Amino acid sequence: MNQLTLLIKKEIKQEFRSRETVISMSVFGVVVILLFAFAFNAAPAEFQKFLPGLIWMTYLFVAVLGLQRSFAAEKELDAYAALLSAPIDRGLVYLGKLTAFVLFMAVAQAVTLPLFGLFLNLSLSTGLGMHLVLCLLTDWAMGACGVLISGMGLRIRMGEVLIPILLFPLLVPVLIGATKASAALLSGAPFSQIQMWFMIIATFAVLFTVTGLFAFGAISEE
Amino acid sequence: MDSYWARRPNQIFAALTFVLVLVSLWLILAVAPMVPQQEWAQRIFYYHVPLAWNAFLGYMGVVIFGIMYLVHKNPKWDIWAVSFAEVGTVFAFLIVVTGPIWAKPIWGTAWTWEPRLTTTFILLLLYIGYFMIREFGGPYERSSRFAAVLGILAFLDVPLIYFAVDFWSPEVQSHPQRDLGGHNPLISQIFLFSLFTFTLILINLIRYRIHAGILQHKALEKDHV
Repeated sequence: MNQLTLLIKKEIKQEFRSRETVISMSVFGVVVILLFAFAFNAAPAEFQKFLPGLIWMTYLFVAVLGLQRSFAAEKELDAYAALLSAPIDRGLVYLGKLTAFVLFMAVAQAVTLPLFGLFLNLSLSTGLGMHLVLCLLTDWAMGACGVLISGMGLRIRMGEVLIPILLFPLLVPVLIGATKASAALLSGAPFSQIQMWFMIIATFAVLFTVTGLFAFGAISEE
Repeated sequence: MDSYWARRPNQIFAALTFVLVLVSLWLILAVAPMVPQQEWAQRIFYYHVPLAWNAFLGYMGVVIFGIMYLVHKNPKWDIWAVSFAEVGTVFAFLIVVTGPIWAKPIWGTAWTWEPRLTTTFILLLLYIGYFMIREFGGPYERSSRFAAVLGILAFLDVPLIYFAVDFWSPEVQSHPQRDLGGHNPLISQIFLFSLFTFTLILINLIRYRIHAGILQHKALEKDHV
């Protein structure tokens, strides 16, 4: 546990000093929202129908950007070898990266979610609390699968290209769940109608976290 | 060990499979009774369902031998895994081709976002990624390990994709249920025969591919020495 806190601290400290991941994720999110506003030049009422899909497509792209950066520091300075030679369980390295990813995603979402309201008439007055829970849960699910994939991408020639190609099909259940849950929350549906989607995302998150804990050792060997 | 066809048992096995496939084709085209309302379109099911069965066996093999490879690190298991993956993907592709041929006259549309269709399609995309990792993954042992992990991830994802898509659009027409065989016992008998011959095709192809994989592995090792 102590080692895990240390790893998470390392990720946060590194990010706090460079700020590059969170800033690029947030700015990228803003840019995508801007493009959506121009691409779907529709009346606000029609727009509501597509909003949940647009929100989660944006966060899927933002997540890929974050995942591509998540092992970047290790790659640049060859610090990966040092990290792996430390007497730390490989699974904990995975958990550390996963926690950091969820934190960075949450920051990027805190910046961009209000902009959906400002530019695209997203009204979060109903179900704001549940939306925040949904965001964190989905970030965790995306990270559980994504950190594993980007851990491979780090050491592949075409890694940056392969990360989204491999990740997007795997994340289909998460995207469906998050989009449906968002749509239901926005329409003010009771939780009993939404819990199905939360359960699908949570199952995905748990399943892939457990796989990641076991498989991360295998992908980080030389 | 050189040519696959130099071995007598392989020749006999392949010839036997070929004859059984011809028999099965004759049974499907000439003997199988028509199903009311579906007429000729229904007959593709004698191919479509066995194809799906083979693809499932193929992807099952990828997971089993992928885990064996990760645990034992014996290249043999990796050759087995990639053989199952390649042959499984050929069958998965054929499912996606034969499905719309049936769906067009029966559903009136070649493609709907129905759970089984969608799941198969996504699985096919994931396996394209699987082969890309093998191709671009760098050193042989590393790319094999990555591919094994991806094979496991893809397999774990399948039930989730299925359930998610199922709940996503419950109004979409779903696949015919298993009572199709209830009409006439001949239908299920011919179906089982077709399933059997297709499984033989699968075994033939995988044995051939494993043989090729071992030869390739030996050639690579010779290069290294």
